[in-house]
Amino acid sequence: MDKIGLYLGCLIPTEQYAYEMALREVLPDLGIELVDVEGVACCGAPLRHINLSLTMYLSARNMAIFEKEGLDILAPCPYCHQALSEAKHVMENNPALKAKINSNLETEGLTYKGTIKHYHVLDLLHDVIGIDNIKEHVEEPLDANIAAHYGCHLIRPNDIPRPDDSENPQKLETLLKTIGAKSDYYKEKLDCCGAHIMVNESESALTKTGQKLQAVEEQGFDALTTLCPWGHRMFDAKQEDAAKVVGGSIDVPVLYYLQLLGIAMGKDQNTLGLTLNLSPTDKLSFIEEEI
Amino acid sequence: MSIIDLTSMAEPEGEQQDKINEILKTLKEDIPNDCYQCGKCTSGCEAFILLELEPHKVMALSKSGFIDELLNSDVIWTCVTCLKCKERCPQDLAPVDVIFALKNIAVASGKQIDTGISNMLQSVLGSGYIQQPKEVVDKDNKAVTRDSLGLPSLPAPKEIQKLQQVLMKAATETLG
Amino acid sequence: MVKIGVFICHCGTNIGGVVDIDELVEFSSRLDDVVFATDYKYMCSDPGARVIKEAIEEHELTRVVVTSCSPRMHEPTFQSVIEDAGLNRFCLEMANIREHCSWVHKDKKEEATQKAKELVAMAVRKSKTLEPLKSFQKEVVHDALVIGAGIAGIQASLDLAEAGKKVYLVEREPSIGGRMAQLDKTFPTLDCSSCILTPKMMDVARHPNIELLTYSEVTEVDGSVGDFDVKVKRKPAYVDWDKCNGCGECAQVCRMKGRVEDEFNEGLGKRSAIYVPFQQAVPLKYTIDPNKCLMLLSGRCGESPPCQDVCELGAIDYEQEEEMMELNVGSIIVATGYDMMDPNGMYEYGYDHSPDIITNLEFERLISSSGPTSGEIRRISDGEEVKSVSFILCVGSRDQDLQEYCCRIGCMSALKHAYLLRDHLGDEVDLNICYTDIRSFGKGYEEFYRRIRDGNTTLIRGRPSEINVEKDGSINFNVFDTMTQKLLQVNSDLVVLVPALVPRKDSGELSQILRISEGTDGFFLESHPKLKPADTATDGVFIAGCCQGPKDIPDAVAQASGAASKAMGIISREELESDPMIAWVDEDICVGCGVCIDVCPYSARELNEVTGIAEVDEILCTGCGGCIAACPSNACIHKNMTKQQILRMIDEVI
Repeated sequence: MDKIGLYLGCLIPTEQYAYEMALREVLPDLGIELVDVEGVACCGAPLRHINLSLTMYLSARNMAIFEKEGLDILAPCPYCHQALSEAKHVMENNPALKAKINSNLETEGLTYKGTIKHYHVLDLLHDVIGIDNIKEHVEEPLDANIAAHYGCHLIRPNDIPRPDDSENPQKLETLLKTIGAKSDYYKEKLDCCGAHIMVNESESALTKTGQKLQAVEEQGFDALTTLCPWGHRMFDAKQEDAAKVVGGSIDVPVLYYLQLLGIAMGKDQNTLGLTLNLSPTDKLSFIEEEI
Repeated sequence: MSIIDLTSMAEPEGEQQDKINEILKTLKEDIPNDCYQCGKCTSGCEAFILLELEPHKVMALSKSGFIDELLNSDVIWTCVTCLKCKERCPQDLAPVDVIFALKNIAVASGKQIDTGISNMLQSVLGSGYIQQPKEVVDKDNKAVTRDSLGLPSLPAPKEIQKLQQVLMKAATETLG
Repeated sequence: MVKIGVFICHCGTNIGGVVDIDELVEFSSRLDDVVFATDYKYMCSDPGARVIKEAIEEHELTRVVVTSCSPRMHEPTFQSVIEDAGLNRFCLEMANIREHCSWVHKDKKEEATQKAKELVAMAVRKSKTLEPLKSFQKEVVHDALVIGAGIAGIQASLDLAEAGKKVYLVEREPSIGGRMAQLDKTFPTLDCSSCILTPKMMDVARHPNIELLTYSEVTEVDGSVGDFDVKVKRKPAYVDWDKCNGCGECAQVCRMKGRVEDEFNEGLGKRSAIYVPFQQAVPLKYTIDPNKCLMLLSGRCGESPPCQDVCELGAIDYEQEEEMMELNVGSIIVATGYDMMDPNGMYEYGYDHSPDIITNLEFERLISSSGPTSGEIRRISDGEEVKSVSFILCVGSRDQDLQEYCCRIGCMSALKHAYLLRDHLGDEVDLNICYTDIRSFGKGYEEFYRRIRDGNTTLIRGRPSEINVEKDGSINFNVFDTMTQKLLQVNSDLVVLVPALVPRKDSGELSQILRISEGTDGFFLESHPKLKPADTATDGVFIAGCCQGPKDIPDAVAQASGAASKAMGIISREELESDPMIAWVDEDICVGCGVCIDVCPYSARELNEVTGIAEVDEILCTGCGGCIAACPSNACIHKNMTKQQILRMIDEVI
């Protein structure tokens, strides 16, 4: 593969800029040309509370736009990725629903056929670009023990195709090893970040965030890495708030995996959005002091 | 109905039950009737300890038709959608999807919902996204934007009115 | 001249409630060559049979059409009825208007009646050309084969041997005993498993009618009921069992001593490369594990192999080779048992993350006085004292993604272990059982359950979502107790998972060899779930024990005795009547191409070198129809199921 359509969803291009910067910086070096596509909108997942039809329509709509362009999709947000996967899966198994959605898509001059694939950063790196290929690009292996956070929607539920195993995902650990880091097992690995109820139950949400960060800290990890803008926002930007809620201080550097990969590839750290990480990333030996 | 709940004088609601099952069947999910109440979902529920969400009870109430008490309760809005209940249910059921269905039914029947959630809907209808690109601060408390970071402008729906129209229409349709 | 009688059964309301019987009788009586048509509430009853017999006599019927249920159930019944009335039993044709009609179209009465008419018309049309056939007799071999020497296979073998029959008992492990030999005590009576099993094992060893073939596998089965040809592979033990006296000195000096995972102890202990699975093994003869023996793997074991040096009897024989043995038996009993589901199928239960999370079968070895710790219960990871043990039931059972069925022994096994643990460790140990529904259905089981409730065991009605292993190795899990409506955190030194019982991983191969079916769950399928629990789709092959489905010891033993008695019903006869509805070859057409010989699974087709015709061995042919479908020149014909007959039936409805 050389070209892939970039589908950022809502959170990445409206505030999680570091993720976008890192992927625009790193992926082309690994032979992936990212194509920005006009006309796309929200994946619909945040509206699933309100009305499932909206979610299904918006997911199908986005896929139809990429399909028209003849591009497979890179959806770096697990929440988007899962919404697209679910819509695709449901329409494959429910032709009546697919027809109904298509009749609505017609209003916007679109049709959904189901001919393109979509990827997340995890499977794009691990399965498409490949470990060996990544290894060749690593110039400065990272010496650190980094906790892996996949994001619930990236691996569950297993009845629709997900990029990794639902109970024992290992691809992120493999990717961490590829850049020289260590990634120990910790029992909280699959636990939730709390993001989903941040709008209406923020204290409980931050409790989840704080508890997972505390577990990471207590088990001696040097940092936490994420593949999800929602999880990243909680662990990174909301780390201080979370610490207040659970009591005590938390000091865990949180980085997107693509940022770590970029550092290991010897990229100019300015280009990876590292100044936007609000967690104490400067604790890490491989982060340059003055960016 | 042959059954009455003497604590609330409520009777099982077949119609509400049908609505839940209709949404589940759209998703090709099994309906709560197969639940044998092992409680595995609640044992692992990420929202239970903090917010008292009991997925197994949601399943039991949905199965027996006592649905109004769920629709009127805030508890269905506390699900963190970690999906562990769906992943691990030995009967392949999806409490999380039942909870989503209940929220949809509550919204459709005009129940008041959190403004944070309704704001997202308004924003999508207005711009296609749940929020507009924000000015954020970096480590040094300096404000940055997409522009200042050199990121391209956000792609947007070409005719937002059309999208709005279709969404309003889709919202009133049953999926079936 | 053909005179046909049509007999329409109401099957109570099963057919009568849907199909318009009067209309069907009227319709039938107008069909060509039908001289009599009538109906009756239950045609299979004695009065029903009388209706048929009287009609045959009164109307001098030459063919009989019974319109009722599936021939699977009642064809032999009606065949006997017409035979009693003097007709050839193969002059019967059945139309199945119950399963094919009233049951499946119960909401469409008119259409069902129409379909019933068509089915009757087809049957009548076919009946005109039915040929009277004659059964013939074939000689029966009086010996039996039992595959698998766990408790079910042992019981079946002993029953047959006691009845005076010669039994070949084939077991693939070096010793008989099976799963039961691994168990400590048995529920609900708490007899020591070995104490009740070992005498039976000794009986097998001593019985003059039983030829024990351990460390052997069945590889091929030919022939049919009454006369099976079986090939058995005898794996090399690399020890001359005629010389070996079981002294065990070889295992003591083996260089691999304490380095090979011990399967009998479920991996909790270590053995040597030369071994007996357990001390009460039958036969008590040593076997060399070819995958672990240095000599066999590399041709070298120090200066000279110590086992060979120490064996004064000269029993060690590295040159021993596999042997094939041919057996001829009249009946076969399959009792190959079960495997335990790999608990990693439920990764969230942490089986991979701690040695202190074990299965209940591993626990059997741990608590057994003959086990690796001599029955002392210690934490496996560090040998520390055990202060709390938790049992998790239904691991992979009653699960849509894993095993849909109930394992039928999990509840009782956990209750038994709780009892034994209290007995071993006293009042100080905390015992927790996480259950969904305690199923204590057997004789004395509910009473035993009450004893546990009386004791100090915490019964938690709920199921954990995941089991956590902390960095220090300690184990805990959360479980919501649906009784108290509380989320409980349970800290446990040992967690015992009770996984589903699953079919043997290679049971598919055996089912192919024996031509028996497997159910959707993968266990061997019985002929009828209630009335033929030990029979299979292949006549003369019977099943017993857990290879047919999970069961406890009493049920396995009962089924084994049932299977033995069914096998006796065959091998105690001198001759068997053979079904004449088999293949027949038209010698004018056959060109001797031999396609039929290749496809026949029963070796019933053979080329006559003189005539150049592929003949049918009427004894071996089972009428499976394989050769008929394969024959390129249409020379093979299935008696009373010819192409012409089938085409005429189709003609009738289009």
